[in-house]
Amino acid sequence: MSNVAPSITHLAKDEREIHQRPLDWKIINRLLRYTRPYAARRTWLLVIVVVRSLQLPALAATIAAAIKGPIQAGNSAGVTWAVVGFLALAVSTQIVAHFRQRLALELGESVVHDLRNELFAHLQRLQMKFYVSTKLGRIISRLTSDVENVRVGVQEVMFVAMVQSGQMLMAALFMLWYDWALFLVVLGLAPVLAGINHYFRRKLSKAHRAVQESFSRVTATLAESINGIRTTQAYGRQARNAELFRDLAEDHAGYHYEIASIHGRLLPLLDMNSHFFIAILLLLGGFRVLNPAIDASLGDLIGFFLMAGLFFSPLTMLGLLYTQALTSMAAAERVFGLLDTPPDWDDPPTAIDVPSVCGRVEFRNVSFEYLPGTQVLQNISLVAKPGQTVALVGHTGSGKTTVTNLVAKFYLPTSGVVMVDDRDLVQWKTKSWQQHLGIMVQHSFLFSGTVMENIRFSRPRASDREVHDVVEQLNCMDVFLRLPDGFQTQVGERGSNLSLGQRQLVCFARSLLTDPKVLILDEASSSVDTLTEMHIQQALRQLLKGRTSFVVAHRLSTIREADQILVLDEGQIVERGTHTELLANQGAYRELYHRFQGG
Amino acid sequence: MRRLLGLVWEYRSRCLLVLVQQLLLVSIGLAILGFSGIGIDFIRFRLDPTANDPSWLFGIHPPASLSDMAILATIAAVVLGLAILHAALRLWATLSASRLAQTIIVDLRVRVYEKLQWLGFSYFDQNNSSSLINRVAGDVYAVRTFVDGVMVEMIIVFLSLVIYTAYMASIHVMLTFACLATTPLLWTLAIRFSRMIRPMYLETRERMDQMVRDVVENVQGVAVVKGCAQQKAQIEKFRQSNNHIREQQHEIFWRISMFQPTMGMLTHLNRAVLLGFGGYLVAQGQLPLGVGLVAFARLLQQFSEQVGQVTNIANRIQTSLAGAERVFQVLDAPIEIRSPAQPRHLIRSCGSVAFEGISFAYNQDRPVLEGIDFSIEPGQSVSIVGPTGSGKSTLLSLIPRLYDPTGGRVLIDGTDIRELHIDELRRHVSMVFQESFLFSNTVAANIAFGNPQATQQQTFEAAKLAAATPFITRLSDGFDTIIGEHGCDLSGGERQRIAIARALLMNSPILLLDDPTAAVDPETEHEILQAVDEAKHNRTTFLVTHRLSAIRRSDLVLVLLDGQVAQFGPPEELLDQDGYLRSLLSAQVEDLGGPLDERRLAFQN
Repeated sequence: MSNVAPSITHLAKDEREIHQRPLDWKIINRLLRYTRPYAARRTWLLVIVVVRSLQLPALAATIAAAIKGPIQAGNSAGVTWAVVGFLALAVSTQIVAHFRQRLALELGESVVHDLRNELFAHLQRLQMKFYVSTKLGRIISRLTSDVENVRVGVQEVMFVAMVQSGQMLMAALFMLWYDWALFLVVLGLAPVLAGINHYFRRKLSKAHRAVQESFSRVTATLAESINGIRTTQAYGRQARNAELFRDLAEDHAGYHYEIASIHGRLLPLLDMNSHFFIAILLLLGGFRVLNPAIDASLGDLIGFFLMAGLFFSPLTMLGLLYTQALTSMAAAERVFGLLDTPPDWDDPPTAIDVPSVCGRVEFRNVSFEYLPGTQVLQNISLVAKPGQTVALVGHTGSGKTTVTNLVAKFYLPTSGVVMVDDRDLVQWKTKSWQQHLGIMVQHSFLFSGTVMENIRFSRPRASDREVHDVVEQLNCMDVFLRLPDGFQTQVGERGSNLSLGQRQLVCFARSLLTDPKVLILDEASSSVDTLTEMHIQQALRQLLKGRTSFVVAHRLSTIREADQILVLDEGQIVERGTHTELLANQGAYRELYHRFQGG
Repeated sequence: MRRLLGLVWEYRSRCLLVLVQQLLLVSIGLAILGFSGIGIDFIRFRLDPTANDPSWLFGIHPPASLSDMAILATIAAVVLGLAILHAALRLWATLSASRLAQTIIVDLRVRVYEKLQWLGFSYFDQNNSSSLINRVAGDVYAVRTFVDGVMVEMIIVFLSLVIYTAYMASIHVMLTFACLATTPLLWTLAIRFSRMIRPMYLETRERMDQMVRDVVENVQGVAVVKGCAQQKAQIEKFRQSNNHIREQQHEIFWRISMFQPTMGMLTHLNRAVLLGFGGYLVAQGQLPLGVGLVAFARLLQQFSEQVGQVTNIANRIQTSLAGAERVFQVLDAPIEIRSPAQPRHLIRSCGSVAFEGISFAYNQDRPVLEGIDFSIEPGQSVSIVGPTGSGKSTLLSLIPRLYDPTGGRVLIDGTDIRELHIDELRRHVSMVFQESFLFSNTVAANIAFGNPQATQQQTFEAAKLAAATPFITRLSDGFDTIIGEHGCDLSGGERQRIAIARALLMNSPILLLDDPTAAVDPETEHEILQAVDEAKHNRTTFLVTHRLSAIRRSDLVLVLLDGQVAQFGPPEELLDQDGYLRSLLSAQVEDLGGPLDERRLAFQN
């Protein structure tokens, strides 16, 4: 333990996702397919882009022509015409610019919009296995930062690259026309410039990543420091933490400084290049103009000078675009990767809709493994008759929740059959089956919104009356009415405005609202105060009445009243029977039971 | 605002350096431009003797003996020399600007962080943690921006605009005016646009946040969504919020694509004026081509870049003020609990604790504790019992001064704890919370959190006492395993046992346990309570609990009802009285299903 550097927190290193990847035609093609619904817009954009790449050099050429012609010649009327021409060209350029910008932005947004919809719909299709094995942060970044990078790829990289290269080409042609000899010199400079750019950009993007990484260290440390402030203060670690944080903040500042120093070298170099270019132009151009043997004019020299700007600036831009293209490529690959993740299984085409359910649930020799090779359930057989309550008890990790997951069809058994009303559950349409199901998870998950909205979640079209009826039935109207805003109370971030007990009651009401035939309840293990506990027990009795229920039980009252108790140990049913039967048995149940009581 | 200016003043020498460097850069840039203009004019003069003689600097004419090419070469060499100077200066300027910014950021960050470390619990009760995180992570940037992005930048922009204007005016006054005529328009347009577009961007952000929140909830609540077969409804809901975003974005796109070309047009207009008016002047021989027209074109471009900066500065003022307010709010928050100027020392604490007439309220109108009086001998263990909200946790948190009582005093070994140094007090008291926070660090570092100097041996022993060694050794790297985010790869019971080890390693005479089994399975509960029993040896222990078995094993029981002591005494005595403890007993017994006498026998074994 001595080799761990002192720090407040310790970040795992596995989190980094690749930042860039080489261009890949398959991915590009697939991306282009997303622009197909907007083909008209895309085509217009292409036309406009071509026009625009002509317009920008044309503007510069007009100025050059004006200087070369009327201005040098002292022709005032000619100057006026030149200005009129310039203005006309400028207006048309700006109009095109408007469309170029708007169409590109809209195209990008449309693609992003469609991708997000598709991603979300796909997420809803994926099953439990995916959700258990994928970090939330990853899923969120697919829908946010990755999709944003794809947007930039679609709306900027291709079109801007076209404008810029077109502009470069045009500028080159003009320069060639003005003075071919000078152009050759310029052409020689271009690779040098591109090289410098490339070198520094690579360094920069590395430095940027270092900044991001160190920033995530800063924020992670901050988050823990603040969330753990009570611990810190109770243990008197303030001064030491502040000291460690200063090191971290200084370290982070160092990376920023690094970036500044790269910028500090790159930008002056680019600048130097253009100043250097002026010096060359003065010397070489002057020589050529002043030398009567060579036919070169001052106007051409100035025109050349203006064009050189248009020729060089795309170099930097194209470098940036290339980097962006690689980033977009990596993002697109991840997005498509998620879209291509197949669901664990698809309902067979012969699967049927279930209009009504009696509620007989049977497990026949069911085994299950989350990961190949580690059996969680072994050869489980059980029958729950319609209306029966089955209590599942056992140690953590004995497989209780897995049994309920199989009933809910969150997973399919690895072998054996789960039957409902004497039909293999695989042959039921998953969605249709889940409509007859009520599920209460252990942590009483609530969505942000009001209590009313949460109860209604299971049946959005239920009327207020129906919601009230359900609550009455659970005998906990008074609990909800006592909330600050009654049913309209906002539950807050993950239900934080409600007590644990109140949250459970909301979940009960939510389940009861659909009048499910089969219930799954993972009882909360946390203790609540006696009054709420009484409410919960009463409500629970109401809820379980007349429904086939599977309860991962933590309450003795629930266990005692169950029609059937299954004692699980390491994925096997070691005992089954009613409370009295099992207590008489002197077996595992009796031991568990005594632990429950005594503590 | 005044505090921000004060901040600028704090860094005045660095600011001044940045300022001087930037102005030097502007001047050198102008010199380069001037020399290039002279070069062009010289060429033109040689071609066409009727044109104006180039306006040589300071009236120094090149000696007539030099050839044309030599003169050109000299000019080119001067341009190159200046360019090198410019580049070097620019590197230096970039570095000092970055140093200024980073110095401020580190200073501010550390200041805010340090302050947060010392603020009382009540401050964290009232402020949402992510907003506090943002203050140290993001808002300090805003404050820094005020120094280098607003104040320094403003002076730079102002002075360079003056320099540019003066330089242009020195070439031709009328042309300067004509070319700059659109500037005020450009200026107002830009500011108005950014005022209009900012709230729209905020709206987009809010809609995006809403969308992300929907996704987060759908993932976290996936069992509920699937269990209620609501996938379709959720997809529909997502579609709608996605469409909302698109609509909002299109509004913004429309405005941007109107605004930017308009601004571009204004710049073109300036060029057209220059081309027309300037061209006319050149044609009339009133303006040199190089030093005049070409230089002007460049100047105009740089001028409009600086004008663009003005809108940025205007935006920055707003954000930096808002950020500064949030940062200063933290820096100004009073530290409620401080050590006295001359703290007394506990010679050797034995661990007796007394409450004298204690009352406490989080807000003034709702007292949480009232008239609490009791005293505990060293080494005794006390169970604190009572319904939710009766003030049990609050009572505990008064002992290490996590809060100060509103009235009365807490004594440790006869000394008022407010007379002790806080560090010393908290070394004497260690605490285990309902849900223990573990840091994403190694198990060993977590156990040694309150006592970083602890030896490996001591850490192991603490873990052993807390019954944590068996599961720790089963972890992939044993004591060096790094605990995952929020300790989520450990079960609640395991985390609590690490927390108990952490408390034990403090080796303090007083141990507080705030319902350590609140959030664990009944199966693990007894393991924790066993660890607690171990920990109780030779310590004064306070334990908040609902468990009768734990209550029974303590020396004293204190029953809190509505913030007052309802019963206090040995457990056997209280169980014989009619009261809360009795009712708790019968409630739990009823839950267990057996008749009362039988049950009592059961847990007296």
